[in-house]
Amino acid sequence: MENNCYQKQVMAIYQFISDHLYFNRPDIEIKGEKYNSAILLGLITGLKKGKQLIIGEPGLGKTTSAEFVCSLIYQFPLGVIWGSEVSGHPEQTEEKIVGRPDLGKLNQGEEDVVWTNFSQVPVKIVDEINRLPETKQSMILDGVDRGNWEYLNEMIINEEYCLFATANYQDGGTNTIIAPLIDRFDTMVESRYPGPNLSFLIGKASRKDNILRHPKYEKDLNRILKSKISYEKKILKMEEICNAFGEYIYETLGIRPLTKKDREQIRSEMEGLEMDLDASAFVRMLLAELSFCDRYGQKRVVENCDEGCHYTGYLCYQIKNCASNRLPTSIKQYAQGLAWLLEDSEIDIEHIKSIVPYTLAHRIQWKDEILSQKERAKRNDPFAIFLAKEAVKTVAQRYREQSDHLKDALAIGSKIFQGEQLEPIEGDHPLYEEIKKDVQFRKN
Amino acid sequence: MIHEKKMNEITKKVLQNQTKKESLAVKNPFGEFDNFQFKKVEIPLDKIVQDTEVVMDKIRIGYEKLLEEEAKELVWMVQYNTIIKAYELAEKYVKEIDYTAEDIEDFCFALENTQRIPYLIPGPAGIYISALCNCVKDEEIKLKLSELKTEINLIGFRLPKGKRLVIEGDTGDFTGIGLEGGELVVEGNAKNWTGAGMRSGKILVKKNIGLHTGEWMMGGEIYVGGRVRGLGNIVEGKIFERDKLIYPGKVRYPNLYY
Repeated sequence: MENNCYQKQVMAIYQFISDHLYFNRPDIEIKGEKYNSAILLGLITGLKKGKQLIIGEPGLGKTTSAEFVCSLIYQFPLGVIWGSEVSGHPEQTEEKIVGRPDLGKLNQGEEDVVWTNFSQVPVKIVDEINRLPETKQSMILDGVDRGNWEYLNEMIINEEYCLFATANYQDGGTNTIIAPLIDRFDTMVESRYPGPNLSFLIGKASRKDNILRHPKYEKDLNRILKSKISYEKKILKMEEICNAFGEYIYETLGIRPLTKKDREQIRSEMEGLEMDLDASAFVRMLLAELSFCDRYGQKRVVENCDEGCHYTGYLCYQIKNCASNRLPTSIKQYAQGLAWLLEDSEIDIEHIKSIVPYTLAHRIQWKDEILSQKERAKRNDPFAIFLAKEAVKTVAQRYREQSDHLKDALAIGSKIFQGEQLEPIEGDHPLYEEIKKDVQFRKN
Repeated sequence: MIHEKKMNEITKKVLQNQTKKESLAVKNPFGEFDNFQFKKVEIPLDKIVQDTEVVMDKIRIGYEKLLEEEAKELVWMVQYNTIIKAYELAEKYVKEIDYTAEDIEDFCFALENTQRIPYLIPGPAGIYISALCNCVKDEEIKLKLSELKTEINLIGFRLPKGKRLVIEGDTGDFTGIGLEGGELVVEGNAKNWTGAGMRSGKILVKKNIGLHTGEWMMGGEIYVGGRVRGLGNIVEGKIFERDKLIYPGKVRYPNLYY
């Protein structure tokens, strides 16, 4: 694979954040190497224009980890990132999140929009998203999903953006995140307690975030954001200042943040990585278990399958909802990011197995009996991520047992699809049934 | 010059059409597996299952042939001549099959639990199982019949010397008749006419036994762990009830119910 050493540059950023800015313990192991999931997946989120939900106890670095990642991947000084953050609270309004009318112009009878920094800056952080009431969460659905921000018949489209949202565990002031919003997040990670010894060091050391600040560039960037030039021109002007800030960081700290060109090059390299056959078959197997229902045709949150179904041993029996079409996209995007970062030539099953729990944890709605069965199990992860990791382990076990048979069934499926007169292969997994449905449709 | 321009336009149109066609073509969702070459790796279990199925088929066919022959009699009567004729037939079919003691147990289970064996007639089934037991290479045979709903008659018919047949569960009438020196252990109850006409060997019934026990027996021993309901006309041999010798003796009399 073509190597521009961008991987080393990104890993240097990872190491810098891990060593100096965000004290942590590793909690994810990939191919024998241990990493901290919040930083690692945060970097991939920034690079792949993803959306990440960060959960954790108050004061354990959910927002700061996102800020550091954004600052070094997009070359924005921390002051600008702070100024563009949206905090979730019941009184939050569309005017504070998206944009407001230009009152001066309105007095003159003209309609114009003053866009918020949040809607304009490519790095978006929503702090405590679950303090937004359910009704107000819908306001950011479109912006979160597509980067389209609309106000008073005007619209800006973010060509390049990533989004981080933090959420506390349920307390008196939190609301549930509505299903369509939570499904739009690609991954969910926990910002964990680093342990008493590292925590003690944090208390002893002076604040580290100043090293990623630059008041002059922050003022310049704010001036551009407030100006009345077109959004496209603003982006170009901001890029110049961001590059200057990047140079400043390189000179003072010795690490080189990524320029827009770097990010584009990295993305094109990532796009070139495809899944190998095992990775592809494993993802299909997982998706089949998360969407299949023998009785009702597919999983639906309003329908509950009863005991006695042949497929009670599979995940479809343990969950309430159906996997959305965003899930495979998230898996592929993040697995591409991970494979690229590890300098692998294609996405293999190990990348998939590492990534899937984080893409799945917030999306699955488990049945109550499963929750009560596993609630007290000994674990190191938050409950949702633990359940997702267990689910991936069971599916991986099933895949090991029948990988060749499954790949053969898919190969036969392909041949039937091309018009050959063959019969689909039988097997004991929902995926075989799904293959049959697809080829039957084709035959007809 | 004009010609070149035209050619360029045509090429452009063709390319556009091609791209359009490609984007509109139905995407094969399994396309990436097109070149997957599947090498079938046979695991030992596959072979065992396959072999067992072949043997089971042969055993089943033998049983079906026996039933076909015996069906000519319309009503299958337990008469000594009928039994001998059926046994000889069964032995003929069974001798052509290479099977083990486990296959006999599988056959017993299949008798009741598969649709492939059309009917279980306790008499011919017992004769066929007896022939299977007598002709198998193994010296000890264990049959788990406790889960069968039907009690099979004639089990242990002509069990030869050197063979030990252990039955888990109950047996029907005529258990161990004509025993020829083998050891038959029934770990449940046995019905009437047990050990009738046996010449030598040992029958051990852990629980109770029915009427006419040892009718016309010419030798050997019958041990009963529970109660003997009635003895038959015994020529020679010994019968024990709970370790106590009841025949020959003065305590129990033939053709009386106890």
